[in-house]
Amino acid sequence: MSPNTSRDAGQAHLDTYLHQIQRHLGGLPDAEARETIAELRSHVLDKVAGDHSVRAIEAAIEELGSPREVARLNVTERVAAELETNRSPWRVLSAIGRLASLSAYGVFAFLVSFSGYAFAAACLITAAVKPFNPRRAGLWRQSEDSYSWMLGVTDHTQTGRELLGWWIVPIGLGLGLLLGWLTWRFGIFSVRRMRRTARGGRA
Amino acid sequence: MNDQREPSLDELGKWEIQVRKGGLGLAVLAVLWPEKLYGLEILRRLHSQAGMSIPEGTIYPLLSRMKAEGLVDSEWVEADAGHPRKYYRLTAPGRGRVREMAQSWRAFATGLERLLAPLEGASK
Repeated sequence: MSPNTSRDAGQAHLDTYLHQIQRHLGGLPDAEARETIAELRSHVLDKVAGDHSVRAIEAAIEELGSPREVARLNVTERVAAELETNRSPWRVLSAIGRLASLSAYGVFAFLVSFSGYAFAAACLITAAVKPFNPRRAGLWRQSEDSYSWMLGVTDHTQTGRELLGWWIVPIGLGLGLLLGWLTWRFGIFSVRRMRRTARGGRA
Repeated sequence: MNDQREPSLDELGKWEIQVRKGGLGLAVLAVLWPEKLYGLEILRRLHSQAGMSIPEGTIYPLLSRMKAEGLVDSEWVEADAGHPRKYYRLTAPGRGRVREMAQSWRAFATGLERLLAPLEGASK
C-alpha cells in the first residue's frame, strides 16, 4: 500500500469514528457538537504525530473510547452542568429528554418523569377546575364491573360513579404537588446517576 | 489466603480511583497555571508531573464543564502540525478558584500527614 493510500485509509477510518460520535451528540447544540468533533479530530491527529496509517489511528481512538462512550460522557457532563445552574421542572424534564437516547436507564427515566409530571398536572388541574365546574371535573369509575378510571376535566358529563366528590380539591392539590416534587427530585437524581455511570465507564 | 487478599486490593483500587477523581479538577486547573495548553498536552503533563493517568476521553467533557463555569477560556490556534489545536487558559475567576482549592487541599494534606506520622515506623 502506498503512503498516500495508507494515509487516505487512516483518514477515512477517523472520519467514520467521528461520524459515529456525532450521531450520538444530539443532546448538544449543533455548534457545540461540531466543536467537540473538531477537538477530538485534533486530539487524534496530535496523538498519531504524522503517522496516519489505519493502525496508528485505530490505536489513538482506542484510547479515547467507543463512539457511544465518548458521546455519552460529553452529553451527560454538559447536561448535568447546565442542570446545576437551573433546576426548574421544565429544565429537568428537558435534560432527561436529551439523555434518553443514550442508555436504557435514560429511556426509563424519561418515561417515569413524563408520566409523573402528566399525572401531577392532571391532579392539579382537576382540583383547580372542580370549584368552577363540579360536574365535569373529578375522578370517576366508568362502571362497577371494570377497572376503567377517569381523572381530569371532560367536555361532557360523566356517566360513571364519581369518587371523592369535593375531596378531590384538597387531595388533588396535595397529591399533585407531592407527585410533581417527587418527579422533579427523581429527574435530578437520574441526571446525576447517568453522569456517575458515564464517568465510571471510563474510570 | 488469596481469597482474603483480593477483595482488599480491589477496595484499595477503588479508593485510589476516588482520591484521584477528587483531585483531578484541581490538577487540571493547576497544570494550566503557568501557560495555555491543549488537551493532549494537559494529559501528558498530568502523567509526567503528577503520575496521573486518566482516560483520554474524560478530559474534554471536564474542560467543557470548566469553561461553562467560567474557570477556563479556550481559543483555536493554527499549529505547525498542520491542524488547528484548541488551547485552554485559566480565567481570572479560574485563578482565584485554583488558589482556594490549593489552600484547601494543603490544609487537608497537612492534617492527614499528622495523622499518618505514627505509621512511618510501623510500615518499615
